[in-house]
Amino acid sequence: MNKPNGFVAVQTISLPWPVRWPAWRSILPWSSLTVPALLLLVWSALSASGWISPQLLPSPLTVADAGIALWQDGELQGHLGVSLSRLAVGFGIGALGGLAFGAALAVSRNVEDYAGGLFHLFRHIPTIALIPPFILAFGVGETFKILIVVKGVFFPVAIAAHDAVRNIPRGYFEVARLYKLSRPAVIRHLLLPATLPSILTGLRIGLDRSWMLLVVAEQIAAENGIGQMMEMARQIFRIDIVMLGVVLTGVIGFALDRSVRQLETLTTRWKR
Amino acid sequence: MKRKPLLTAALSALLALLPALASAADAVREVRISTISYATGGKTSYSGVSGLIAQQGDLEKALAKRGVKLTWVPVSTAAVGPQINEAFANRRIDFAGYGDLPSVIANASGIRTKLLVPGGTSTTYLVVPANSTARSITDLKGKRIALHRGRPWEFPFLQLAQANRLGQNDFKLVNLNPQAGAAALSSGSVDAFFTLSDAWLLVDKGVGKIIWNSKQSPESWQMRAELWGASEFVAANPAISQLVVDAYVKAAHWASLEQNRDAYLRLQSASGLPESVLRRDYDGDATAWKQRASPLFTDALAAHYRDVARYAKGAKLTGSDVDMPATFEPRFVDAALKSLGLTQFWTDTKVARQ
Repeated sequence: MNKPNGFVAVQTISLPWPVRWPAWRSILPWSSLTVPALLLLVWSALSASGWISPQLLPSPLTVADAGIALWQDGELQGHLGVSLSRLAVGFGIGALGGLAFGAALAVSRNVEDYAGGLFHLFRHIPTIALIPPFILAFGVGETFKILIVVKGVFFPVAIAAHDAVRNIPRGYFEVARLYKLSRPAVIRHLLLPATLPSILTGLRIGLDRSWMLLVVAEQIAAENGIGQMMEMARQIFRIDIVMLGVVLTGVIGFALDRSVRQLETLTTRWKR
Repeated sequence: MKRKPLLTAALSALLALLPALASAADAVREVRISTISYATGGKTSYSGVSGLIAQQGDLEKALAKRGVKLTWVPVSTAAVGPQINEAFANRRIDFAGYGDLPSVIANASGIRTKLLVPGGTSTTYLVVPANSTARSITDLKGKRIALHRGRPWEFPFLQLAQANRLGQNDFKLVNLNPQAGAAALSSGSVDAFFTLSDAWLLVDKGVGKIIWNSKQSPESWQMRAELWGASEFVAANPAISQLVVDAYVKAAHWASLEQNRDAYLRLQSASGLPESVLRRDYDGDATAWKQRASPLFTDALAAHYRDVARYAKGAKLTGSDVDMPATFEPRFVDAALKSLGLTQFWTDTKVARQ
């Protein structure tokens, strides 16, 4: 069997595992905390000023207290756990499906002919608009919420995968053929490194989007989850819990985004 | 210190404006009443007697004579309580017609409102899918029931459950707004749906059947809606509050007359619910038509609000006890009944309800 030793790219574009996780400061530098800190100060000042009714703008301390109380009850962990597991399952299905479909769409004429039109039609439908028909079709149980996440992830990932595969210069494949690379080798040494950066970007967009969609879906129909916690709190006029939900949604979204970004940086280090 | 002329100018302008703003608040130029609204055929209409008042226009004229503008602040059926409570909290409305439980939640969280005109009850329904074998709430033990939490019909639901020796934990309650609840029942993803007269729409579509309604239930079970006023506004503007209350009592009287029943139902059908639904909603009720809109402050009313407040505390919908009868402000209704010559028209429901 031909060993692709002479193939220069092979040596350099392999994934740099194992890798060292970068220092905390590079993920979240002090300068990025300045504006949030200022915002927190303005929020405290506003709620202390009495200009806005304390029922409508509870102080950050009240919100933190609500968070601690809910945590001690075990309620907060329950909601977070449920939401994050919905996200994990939906994201897993959506990402794998999107990846497979996007790649198939890029390489297969048949897939393009049969499913391409429908794919492009569906990806333009806002997921929010799909919530009522999804409830009708799948009920208010877990299926509907997970499908909302799947829809949020599938399309950005599929498009990213499609574009990434399409954008690989044909010359690369010709070189691979010249060296008589096996199919797994083409995937490992050509396809994966060439498409990974854009696919990771697609995953990141999908993750961001589906997290927001999940919270909205939970607000509309759920027994638990972070969105449901906020919806119930609004009904019973506990704006402190609503604010807690807002802050947590933001922080979790931010953390998810940063994690994938970090993964992007790590896996594309060879570019630099 | 470095001078910042722009900031200084802006601050001094703001300071100069403050007295002007304060004096503007003294003389009321506008009365804002919030209630459920519907947009049908490009026209906005309001629910209950508010719709009648808006249509007849007498209150608007009476207020205009004093140089006060009447503004209706619409809220959507999907989230009436939160929208009105938030508006009361940031002083964007002066009066609101809405349900009992959200008003209890408001007062328990420190928003001060006064019950000015008792408004009346609404029938609540327990609906199951058309092919369900459930015949009563006891058959639904352990099943999924769609219920919009924190809404006024949560209390009647729990009353029904308790009367059957069941509690909140005997069901899987799914918190869904009425639209989503109807969709969930249609798709069979819940085993029952507790709601208002929109239950008839599900029956008409053949997807649901009503296995219980509150028409013959004790008065204390019924969900209620009334006219509430912001305490501060009412205390500061008794004359204007009286005009508003007069209009509500007058409209309640008009709607209570048997000869106006059809016209009132036609008006209500602007809510998007067909007249046939409204008729079925009102038919066979233990409360006489005339008594439905009774604005009297009765012992039963006080007992109802005490019960709702106790329930809300127990169900952790409110964090603190609240003395709801202390929010009753009957002086305006008393004066209105006298000035309109209606002191003998309504009787205490204890007598009227056989």
